[in-house]
Amino acid sequence: MTNNSKDPSKWDVQLRKGTLELVILALLRGRSLYGLELLGQLQELETTAISEGTLYPLLDRLKRDGNIDAKWHQEGDTRPRKYYSLTKIGQEKLTDLTDRWRKSVEDIEFLLENPGPQTLPKKGK
Amino acid sequence: MSDREMVRDYLNSLMKFLSRLDKEDADDVLREIECHIYDVMEIRQENGQMIDASEILKGFGQPRELASQYVDHILEGTPPPMGFRAIQKIKTGTTKGLYWTTAIFGYFWSAIFVAIGLYKLISPNAVGVWANDIGESFIIGGLSQMPAGTEEIMGLWLVPVAIGLGSGAAYITKRILSVLKPIVR
Repeated sequence: MTNNSKDPSKWDVQLRKGTLELVILALLRGRSLYGLELLGQLQELETTAISEGTLYPLLDRLKRDGNIDAKWHQEGDTRPRKYYSLTKIGQEKLTDLTDRWRKSVEDIEFLLENPGPQTLPKKGK
Repeated sequence: MSDREMVRDYLNSLMKFLSRLDKEDADDVLREIECHIYDVMEIRQENGQMIDASEILKGFGQPRELASQYVDHILEGTPPPMGFRAIQKIKTGTTKGLYWTTAIFGYFWSAIFVAIGLYKLISPNAVGVWANDIGESFIIGGLSQMPAGTEEIMGLWLVPVAIGLGSGAAYITKRILSVLKPIVR
């Protein structure tokens, strides 16, 4: 990690922007969560900590695109909460994004493991 | 200002900026955010922490910015009617001024044309289109005396033509306004 881990670097922000959709879909795999729970889980992890103002509009967009479903549900005498879960489209999207993510990590690892001065070897795939 | 008042102010402001959404969708967004805020306030209270609503609200950002993330897709998502694509470019910069200028200008000319058409029926000799022989001078309107050296060229045809032009202008104005409307509040 960078030496200024308290203050998220531009790199973190950029990376998060690109991966947030995958992060949310992954978090909702096999579970239904409401906003505050999602936020709490995301804030547990160093690179996925986002704010309320980022999370809720993103959930709205994912819902509009049909990737997630939202249902109001009340448990006991708590106030009703809006629970999000993956739709079939969302599950497929998660599978696709996961593949792309792993491919991307693999490619970057490959670059990191093969420094110069010789040219980059041909990759198997 | 108490914590509750602060939250209420925030939600009222957010509601205003969400007004382009359907009522049902806007209510849903507000309800969810309100629920979140009160949940956090309760948790803090139970843990004996300071409630500090302003700190909680900070995470949501300014109401206008938060709302725009919910609303912007509406502007991107609705293509303008055929023939009005250029309007899309200026849409976001549209102000009330442009809306009303377009409305007044469009309907004003529409009314003038229709009035000319109707007036021709009432007073056929006073209204017309006059042109001189070589076509370098052209007058349209209502006159008490026929302009010298010119000839009235349309006769009663002026009635359908003027009313047609007026209706056309009104229709185009209406279409333009319908494109501008969702962005002007």
